[in-house]
Amino acid sequence: MNLPLPLIVLITIFCLAGVGLYCLLITRNLIKVVIALQLMVKGAVLAFILAGNLTGQMNTAQTLALTVIVADTIVAVVGLALAVQIRLRTGSLDVKSLSSLKR
Amino acid sequence: MTMAMIAVMIGGPWLGALVVWAVGDKREKLQHWLAVLFSAVAGAAAIVLIPNATSEAIVKIPVGGAFGDFTFVPDGLGVFLSVIATVIGSLAVVFSTSYMKGEASLGRYYAFVLFFIGAMVGLVLSSNLLLIFFFWEITALCSYALIAFHNDDPKAVRGGVKALIITSIGGVGLLVGALVLFAYTGSFDLNTFLGASGTIPANILSLLAFGFLIAAAAKSAQFPFQTWLPDAMEAPSPISALIHAATMVNAGVYLLARTFPAFQGVPFWREAVMIVGTLSAILAAVMALTANDLKRVLAYSTVSQLGYMVYAIGAGGVFASQFHLFSHSIFKALLFLGAGAVIHSIGTRDMLEMGGVGRKLPLVKWVFIIGSLALAGLPILNGFWSKELILEAGLKGGPAWLYVLMVIVAGLTALYTARCVWLVFFGEPRTEYHVHPAGIGMKVALIPLALAALVSWIAVGPFSALLGERTLPYHEIEQTSLATVIHEILTLPTLIALLVIGLGILLWFTRSKMEGLINGLRSIRWASEKSFGFEALNTAFVEVTNNIAEALRSTQTGILNWNVFAIAASLIILFVILVLGG
Amino acid sequence: MILYLLVGLGILACAILSISARRLLISAIWLALTSALVAVMIYLLGAPHIAVIELSVGAGLVTVLFVFAINIAGEDTSRLKSIIPTPVAIFAVVLAVVLGLVLILRANVSVALTAPLPENSAILWQSRYVDLLLQVVLIFAGVLGVIGLLAEKVKPHREEETE
Repeated sequence: MNLPLPLIVLITIFCLAGVGLYCLLITRNLIKVVIALQLMVKGAVLAFILAGNLTGQMNTAQTLALTVIVADTIVAVVGLALAVQIRLRTGSLDVKSLSSLKR
Repeated sequence: MTMAMIAVMIGGPWLGALVVWAVGDKREKLQHWLAVLFSAVAGAAAIVLIPNATSEAIVKIPVGGAFGDFTFVPDGLGVFLSVIATVIGSLAVVFSTSYMKGEASLGRYYAFVLFFIGAMVGLVLSSNLLLIFFFWEITALCSYALIAFHNDDPKAVRGGVKALIITSIGGVGLLVGALVLFAYTGSFDLNTFLGASGTIPANILSLLAFGFLIAAAAKSAQFPFQTWLPDAMEAPSPISALIHAATMVNAGVYLLARTFPAFQGVPFWREAVMIVGTLSAILAAVMALTANDLKRVLAYSTVSQLGYMVYAIGAGGVFASQFHLFSHSIFKALLFLGAGAVIHSIGTRDMLEMGGVGRKLPLVKWVFIIGSLALAGLPILNGFWSKELILEAGLKGGPAWLYVLMVIVAGLTALYTARCVWLVFFGEPRTEYHVHPAGIGMKVALIPLALAALVSWIAVGPFSALLGERTLPYHEIEQTSLATVIHEILTLPTLIALLVIGLGILLWFTRSKMEGLINGLRSIRWASEKSFGFEALNTAFVEVTNNIAEALRSTQTGILNWNVFAIAASLIILFVILVLGG
Repeated sequence: MILYLLVGLGILACAILSISARRLLISAIWLALTSALVAVMIYLLGAPHIAVIELSVGAGLVTVLFVFAINIAGEDTSRLKSIIPTPVAIFAVVLAVVLGLVLILRANVSVALTAPLPENSAILWQSRYVDLLLQVVLIFAGVLGVIGLLAEKVKPHREEETE
């Protein structure tokens, strides 16, 4: 069996995003939410690089990927800081305890 | 230069909104001054822009394929309405410095006022329909927030929500119109549309025409949406002046005037516009006759006068309608600010509790009378000239029976104006009330408006030049001069109209001799207090919207997992559509 | 091909282990491993710069942050039952992934990887000043956010807003 290389990378990308999405759907832990976001964004970075490789525009792809990495790191930092503060204030990391909407 | 002026007119008030809000409610004086400063700068920029009006797009922001360019075109209509919005708006702000003294959350108040003014300028200067929709919705949001400013008063909140929902119907009409337009011309640009309206299929054009008519009727509180404006009376008085004279309701008339060249050929459209205008004018005038709340009377009179403008557009008199809008903005701002001064001084809005206020507040009395005479359409005040222009346009471009009705409404206007002035300022005090003197900011705002109501009609020549061929190539507005207008107006129909107006005023002073007639009209009075059933219609609509919103609330759990699930579900739906569609 | 396959499988395995680990600390470590393997794949695809950055930031800095945060917030060992039923979640995810793949593969993608281009990092940023600016703004915003959030003393009115 001989799979084409882009297909392997593509499947990896989609499954990585899928695993992240699954975790977002299932988890109730705020730090886990940040981990899931990290996984999804890694898929996005890989997708940029693959696209750059396939179209031959690796420079554009690299700069975009770098921007995504920076943004993602900031998301992780702020997300974790929020999680820590919520833990300190409410004593829990549960997503459900955050909802204060009237139902 | 022009570009900078446009930026100042929109960005200035918006920046001011942020600054005033950021200053914080602890520094009240600074907030007043900053609000006046930012609105006055925008007003000055608008005035500077008048001689620079042009039909070319000055600001062009390319935003990519689907949206086209976000263009700002300072043409005659746009500049004129932005002058109204900023100058009258800044006078309302000046008035507020006295009226709102010591109120809580002034930051919120001024931030929304300035946001409102900037959005209105953006609305009238933009020529991209999508951008117009954006500003349109901002004005709806601001009017909601300001009507419901006293948010501990359930009546105010109800009025605000009603205004938001009803004007949102108009927003939907506009959005649908914009999308249909894009589907058929590939561009959201209004001027492109006006130039190429002949290439659009007739049925689509009529869909657009009536969609925009609904949008305009909802925004300008025209039949059958006229009930939100009177309910908006819970707002502080300067806000009423802002909504009625400077910003909100002008937007609907503006939209009709702007798109008139494209739609005038659509069958029944002009008739529909005229009938909407006439019905609004009549119904509102009758309701104004029976209302006892001072601000409610003025609100009905706004609906009625907007009816005149809409009627004029339907009759082909775009110039007359815009000239009346100009006059109306001045005298209605004057009346509302004057009413605000009265209400602020004696602390009630019920006219039956007033009486004899004129002796305590002489200045307010005189400016209010000037405004009322302009509203009634008496010479030589500005309302006279513009109303006669409208009636003349109606005689020329519309059926005679509508003209007769509009002349009768002019008489009714005079009647309810006389009633209102008499009940408030003359006679003996009917209750014990305590009078606070009017503040300095109130006087500063009232006097220029009163002077303008006396003399603004002299500017008819330059005004027609502003709206002329040079800046509005599709509207075919002829340039006229003061002499021509005077010559045109001093004819037999005007005399008849004047006679009817005089009769209206006379009717009030001879009311005691006509008990029988008044008793005979009891049923009309009863019906008008119920707003001829349209109150129920509008309220039902608001109720339905509220109930749907209540029902949809259960979808908002506030739990992250469900929100992510919704995102995933929409992604799947999108994918399915793409896979199936090709 | 085997190399790509191995790295790809490794990434997936680490990702799945990361989300299924009971302890948060273990999760974070699996995440770091995922990141490292992603960096390897990026390198294989011919983007060494990004690979290095991903390795140092994704596997290094972010992991440190996670460990730091988990230390402060503490392990959350209570096993809460998920709100959305697991089969529904799995179904939705599988559907989305399969549909997405179908869409991508139907489009006309050339199936051969191009050889990595000769790199010239000077032109890397030549036409992307906006990105650079954006990153500076982002980093600044991130620093401000963290300072604000981790501050021990909270202003009284801020407290009202968050609660």
